[in-house]
Amino acid sequence: MNNIFLNQYLTVMYPEIFLGLVAFGMLLMGKRYHDWKVYTGISIISLLIAMILLLLLDAGNETFYGGAFQINNFGLYFALIMIVSSLYVALSAGTVLKDNPEVFFATFLFVNIAMIIAAFSLNLIFIFIAFEGVSVGTYILSAYGKSRRNLEASAKYFFTGIIATGFIVLGSSYYYMATGTFNLISGVPEKGAMLIALVLLFVGFGFKLALVPMQQWAVDAYDGTSNPVSAFLSSGTKVLAFFILLRVFLVGFSHFYNDVFYLFVIVSIITMTYGNFAALSENNLKRMLAYSSIAQAGYLILVIAVVSGSSSTFAFTVAIFAAMYYSIVYIFMKGGSFLSVSAVNKDKVEINDLEGIGVKSPLFAVSLAILMLSLAGIPPTAGFFAKYYLFLSLISGNLWWLAVIGILNSAISVFYYLRVITVMFRKNDSHEFNLGSSVMLPLVTAAILTIGLSLLIFAYPQLSSIVGGLGVVR
Amino acid sequence: MFILGIFLLLLLFAIISFAVREGAWKIATVESLLILVLTAIYAVLRFTSYTGGFMSVSSYPVDTSIGISFSTGVSALSMALLFLSAVVMFIAIFVSGREKFNRSFYGLMLSTEVGLFGLLISRNFLFFYVFWEAIIIPVFMLISIYGGKGKEKAALKFFVYTQIGSVFLLLSILTLFSFYGTAYHTFTLNMGKLLNTAFITQYITGPNPFWTDFLLFGFFFSFLVKMPSFPLHSWLPDAYTSAPYPVSIVLAGAISLMGGYGFFAVLLPITAVIGSGIAWAIILLGIFSLIYFALVAMFQTDMKRMMAYASAASMGFISISLGIGILSSGNVAYLAVTGGIFQILAHGLIMSLVFSSLYIIKNTTGSQSNLTVSGLFREMPIISTFLLAGVMASLGLPGLAGFIAEASIVLASYQVIGFIIFFIIFGMIITASYHVWMVQKSLNGPYNENLGKLKDGTKMEIAVLSFLFIIILVLGVYPSLFYHMIFMYVKGVF
Repeated sequence: MNNIFLNQYLTVMYPEIFLGLVAFGMLLMGKRYHDWKVYTGISIISLLIAMILLLLLDAGNETFYGGAFQINNFGLYFALIMIVSSLYVALSAGTVLKDNPEVFFATFLFVNIAMIIAAFSLNLIFIFIAFEGVSVGTYILSAYGKSRRNLEASAKYFFTGIIATGFIVLGSSYYYMATGTFNLISGVPEKGAMLIALVLLFVGFGFKLALVPMQQWAVDAYDGTSNPVSAFLSSGTKVLAFFILLRVFLVGFSHFYNDVFYLFVIVSIITMTYGNFAALSENNLKRMLAYSSIAQAGYLILVIAVVSGSSSTFAFTVAIFAAMYYSIVYIFMKGGSFLSVSAVNKDKVEINDLEGIGVKSPLFAVSLAILMLSLAGIPPTAGFFAKYYLFLSLISGNLWWLAVIGILNSAISVFYYLRVITVMFRKNDSHEFNLGSSVMLPLVTAAILTIGLSLLIFAYPQLSSIVGGLGVVR
Repeated sequence: MFILGIFLLLLLFAIISFAVREGAWKIATVESLLILVLTAIYAVLRFTSYTGGFMSVSSYPVDTSIGISFSTGVSALSMALLFLSAVVMFIAIFVSGREKFNRSFYGLMLSTEVGLFGLLISRNFLFFYVFWEAIIIPVFMLISIYGGKGKEKAALKFFVYTQIGSVFLLLSILTLFSFYGTAYHTFTLNMGKLLNTAFITQYITGPNPFWTDFLLFGFFFSFLVKMPSFPLHSWLPDAYTSAPYPVSIVLAGAISLMGGYGFFAVLLPITAVIGSGIAWAIILLGIFSLIYFALVAMFQTDMKRMMAYASAASMGFISISLGIGILSSGNVAYLAVTGGIFQILAHGLIMSLVFSSLYIIKNTTGSQSNLTVSGLFREMPIISTFLLAGVMASLGLPGLAGFIAEASIVLASYQVIGFIIFFIIFGMIITASYHVWMVQKSLNGPYNENLGKLKDGTKMEIAVLSFLFIIILVLGVYPSLFYHMIFMYVKGVF
C-alpha cells in the first residue's frame, strides 16, 4: 500500500486521531478564546464526528497489531455508548466550569480517545494504556475547580489511583509469566502465576469500578468534585471499567472460570450489600449516590459471575445482553441523578435540601423520581428491564441463590431511593433552587431516555447476535 | 380490541388528569364513570354467553426469541375484577370531592386504575409483572404526598413490603420461564403456556423438588403481602390509617384485589396440580388470619383502623377457598373457588361502601373514633344507614353479596375439612360481634352533643352510594350475574 493514509493500521485509528487533533487544536485556541460555549460546541461536534467515523469502520472482526486490536460490533457498541455518556456530560459541563474551559474539554477528548481504544483492545498492554489514559484524564478533571475540596478529592483519587496502576502492572507481568503473551486470547497457561495475576489485576481494575474493598476513594471523590465530573466519573468511566473487567476476566482467564466465579461472587455480594447499607444511613445526597453506584457495581459484576459460573449458552447470551443494556441505562440514570444535584446551590447537599422542590418544579421532581425508580429497578423504567435480564440470566444459569441475594439487595435499596422521592414532595418554601436550563435539560433528557430505553427490549435479537464480539469462546 | 381500547382510553384519561388546570375532580369523576360504563358494556357484550376460557385474546409480539409479547385475554375472573376496580376507582374518585385534591392526585388515582386494568388483561408474565409493580408507585405517592400523620413512614413501609413481595414474584416467574425453556427448548412468558396443566405435571413436580418449593414460595409470598394476610400484614394498619380516605378505599377495594387475583389466576393452576402438600397450610393460614384479624379489630377504637382489619380478616376466606379448592375435586372445588373469587368482588364493593360512608362521617364530624362519634342516626340518618348497610354486608348478612361468597366457602369447606369449619364460624362470630358493636357505639345510642349540628351527605353522594348499595344487594339476591360466569371459568381451570 503506497498511500499511507489508507494504510489499514492507520484507518482503524482515524476516530482517535481525529479527536486528538481537535484536542490539541483546542489547547492552541485557549490563548485567544475564553468562552466555554465555543469549546462545548467544538467538543460536541467532534464527538459526533468521532461517532460517525466509528460507524464507518468496517466491523468485520478483523484483528490488527498482532491480535491486540479487534474491530467488532460489540466493542463498537460500548465505544458508542461511552461517547454518548461524554456527550451527555459535555452538554452540561460548560456552565459549571467557567475558567480555562479549553483545558477541561481537551482533557475530556483525550479521555474519550482512551475509551475508544479500550473498547477494541484484546491485549493487556493496550488495555493498560487506555485505562491509564482515562485515569490521568480524570485526575485532571476531578481537580478542576477552585475550592480546596476539589483538590482534596483529586489528590485522594490520584494517590489511590496510582497504587491501582501498580497492581495492574504487576498483575500484567504475572500474566505474561503464565501465558507468554499479553494477548487476552492465549493458550492454556500455568496455574500458579495466573492466580496471582487474577488477584492483582482484579485489585487494579476493580478499583475503578469501586468494588469493595477498593471503594472508599469513590465516595470521597464523587463528593468532592463538581457535579458534571462526578456524573462522568460515575457513568462513562464506570462503564469503561466494567467493559475492561468483562474483557480481561472473561476472555483472559477463560481457563480459570472456577476461580473467577468464586472471586466475583464473593466480591459482588459484599459490594452490593455494603453499598446498600452504607447508602441507607447517608444524608449527604452525593455521598448517597456514590454508595448507590458502589451497589450498582455489585450488580454489574454479577454478569461475570453468571458467565464464569454457568455453561448454558442462553444464560451467557442474556447475561452479556444485560451488561450491554445496563451500561447504557446506567449512564443516564446515574449521570442524570448526579447532574441534578446542581439544583441546590451548596457545597454539601443534604437529601433534605431537596424539600419543597416538588412544589416549585414538578417537572424536576418527577424526572428525578423516574431516575430513582429506575435505579431501584422498578418498572416501567429501563432500570427494571436491565435488571430483569440480569436476573433472568442468573436463573437460567441455575444460580438462583445469587438471584435471591441480588433481589433482596435491590429491595433494600428501595429505601434510600424512595427517601429522595418522599423528601422532594414535602412542603417547604424556605429553600431556593437553581432550576435553569443547565440543570433541567440534562435531567429531563435522562428521565425521558430512562423510560424510553425500555424499548430496547425490542432490540434483543440484534444486540444478542453481537455478544460473541466479547471474545469468549462458547 | 374493545378491552384494549378501554385500556388505552384510560391511559389517555390519566394523562389528561395530570394536565388539566381547572376542575380536576369533575373531570376525573366523569372519566372514571365513563370507564365504568364502558367496562359494563364490555361485560354485557362479551360475557352474556360465556362458557369458560378467555375472551378478547390478542397478541402483539415484542421479542419472540425470548417469548415476550403483549398478549391480552380476559377471563371471567379478570372480568369480575375489572368491573370491581372500575367501581372502586369511580367511588374513590367521586367521594374525594369532599376535600378538593389537586390534579396530580387524580392523575395518580387514574394511573393506579391503568395499572389495575393492565394487570387484569395481561396474559404475558412480563407485562403482568410490570403492571403489578406499576400500581405500587402511584399508591406510594398518594399515601406519601396526601396522607395524614406519619404518612412518609407508612408509605415507605407499604412500598418496601410490597416490593420485597414483588421481587419474589419476579424470581418465581423467571423460574417458571427457565423450566419451560429446559423442557421445550423454546422460551416463552405467555401465561397460558407457563400455567398449562400438562407442562406443570410433567416438568415441575418430578425432577426438581427444591425448585418447586421455591416457585410456590415466591408466588405465595408476594400475593400474601398484597392481600394482606398474616404474618405479612404489618404495613396494613399504618397505610390505611395514614392514607387519605379515597386512597384507603383503593387499598381495601383494589390493592387487596391484586393478591386475590394472583391467587386464582396464577397460583390456582399450579397448586391444583402440585399443591396438595401445602393445601392444609394455606387453609390454616386463612383461618388463623380470619380469627387473628378479627380479634385485633375488636380492640380498635378508631373505626377506620377497625375496618382495615376487618378487610384483612375477610381476605382470610380467600386463602381458605384456595386450600379447599386444591384438596377437593369436582363440584366441591368449583364451589370453593367460585366462592373465593366472589369474595374478592364482594369484599371490594362492600369495603368501598363502608369506607365512603366513614369518610363522609369523618369529614362532617371531624372524628373517626368510636369514642367521640355516637348516636349519628339522629343527625345524619342517610349516611348512617349506608354505613349500617355496609357493615351488615361485611359481616355476611344473607341477602347481601358477602353472604353468597362466605356461604359457598363454608359449605365447600365442610365437605373437606369437616368440623374444623367450627373455627371459621368462630371467626365469623367475632367479626359479627365487633361490627355490631361499632354500629351500636357510633350510630345508635345517645347523640354526642359536642359534635353540634351536622349536615347529612349531599344528594350526589346519596345517589352514588345508593348505586353502590344496589350492586351489593343485587349480587346478594341474584348472584348468578357474576357467579355463573365465574363458575364456568373455574370449571375450565381444573
